[in-house]
Amino acid sequence: MTNTSILRTPFYERHVALGAKLVDFAGWRMPIQYQRGIIQEHLSTRKTAGLFDVSHMGRFLFSGSGAVTFLQHVLSNNVASLQTGKSQYTIIPDSHGNAHDDAYLYRFYEHEYLLVVNASNKTKDWEYFLKMKEEFTEVVMEDVSEPLSMLSLQGSLSENIIKGLTKSGKVPECTRNSLAVDTINGANVLLARTGYTGEPLCFELFMGHKDALSIWDLLMAKGATAIGLGARDTLRLEAGLPLYGHEFGEDVEGKPIPLFACPLSRFAVSFAETKSDFVGREALLKQFDALKKINSGDYSQLEHLPRIIRAVAVTGKGIAREGAKVWQGEERVGYITSGTMVPYWKPGGDEHANRAICLALLNANLKENSTLEIEVRGRKITAIIVSRHLRSDTPPHAQPVLYEGNT
Amino acid sequence: MVPKEVKCTESHEWVRLESDKATATVGLSHYAMEQLGEIVYLELPEAGAQMAKGDEFGTIESVKTASSLYMPVGGEVLEVNTDVTDKLDLLSAEPYGAAWLIKVKLSDAGELDGLMDATAYEKHIEGEE
Repeated sequence: MTNTSILRTPFYERHVALGAKLVDFAGWRMPIQYQRGIIQEHLSTRKTAGLFDVSHMGRFLFSGSGAVTFLQHVLSNNVASLQTGKSQYTIIPDSHGNAHDDAYLYRFYEHEYLLVVNASNKTKDWEYFLKMKEEFTEVVMEDVSEPLSMLSLQGSLSENIIKGLTKSGKVPECTRNSLAVDTINGANVLLARTGYTGEPLCFELFMGHKDALSIWDLLMAKGATAIGLGARDTLRLEAGLPLYGHEFGEDVEGKPIPLFACPLSRFAVSFAETKSDFVGREALLKQFDALKKINSGDYSQLEHLPRIIRAVAVTGKGIAREGAKVWQGEERVGYITSGTMVPYWKPGGDEHANRAICLALLNANLKENSTLEIEVRGRKITAIIVSRHLRSDTPPHAQPVLYEGNT
Repeated sequence: MVPKEVKCTESHEWVRLESDKATATVGLSHYAMEQLGEIVYLELPEAGAQMAKGDEFGTIESVKTASSLYMPVGGEVLEVNTDVTDKLDLLSAEPYGAAWLIKVKLSDAGELDGLMDATAYEKHIEGEE
């Protein structure tokens, strides 16, 4: 092993001052939780506004006259349909239709595309792009992770907090994925209506490294609560959002998970004529056709998409965690990709309770409301396939979707 | 502070010999709670279960992890604290009091002699930090 130094984001000293429990994550010293703990942080995000240090993520800037052609080739979504002032969820597919990584592409300025990738895949993605770029011309690729810091502000108060800070007094227009360039406290700030919590009101902010701390302080002074990686994971799980290494990447047996196994991939893959060919297109088209057939009850093409990620609610006693085997009678039908106990606000928002929820990679022929058994420490606990764990179409708050027996 | 009258295991269970010298109460140390963080699930055995020293008698889970609970002494489980499985907040608030986990009829009271006393346990957790 080489002695690599652990990196710190510009907000490190704030995490320490707030009494965070720090862990090493993808080469970064990051807060897993602050003093109040994961449960309270999750609840604060669902009620008010949570502030997340996401500066450990990779940020690559693409420009040059060949940038769009290049990005169209290496990303799954249609870059040609991305207008200035918009962003899109996208995937970096391999030639077999599996994911190198999932990512978000932002077009703040007409001639610049900002791609945010997972911290754990940053080096791998960068090297992959460098290699792929050899066949393209006029593509400028720059790693801006260090000069351009990143924060995420999620939850019902986030819109008012941002409005109260921007020089324009405005926020990006009220549709998901909208972007704006504004000024906060004299600093240029890139604002996006994006996030990873399922909250309907949500923002991600990009700013110069030297301005980052003062913007953190302003957001905190306006009432945001600092949230660690622990609650970031429970929030995204509740929202049913995939995490590379769990719902993308390799399954427990070491086999790659097809990209269309994740329901969200439908919004990240484009077969439009304006996109033409790209890495993995042929394999992805087969998966997509299989998915359409599966959704209409035709299981003739399961070889292209044998299993699908589903939301599962535990109805028995216990917590199902990542790796747990899922059974239906004597048949093994899949395994848990992410699972834990998450809190939710009861109606009225004064009291909270917990529920055990999961995402699971399950045989594609299983239908919603199917009952399952999950193997936990040698015994089996009951569970059910549900449509979702959270509603996001209910501003200003996301709402839990509860199932009988799961509370 | 770990109460003087308890003995502890390296896996952070405590056990207190009751005045009848035949039964003991078992719980989990304050230090263990601090390490686990907020507890979201606790599973305990049924009364009547027969267990040997070192057997797994339950599970305690936070959002991030699940940890097994191990018998500090062998015996029959006489009573299970169902108050604490309903009120998990007790675990960190009163780990040596209201948040006891099980009462055991000892099969061999001599097994307590092999455990750490409060002072030794405090040294042990200092070493872990």
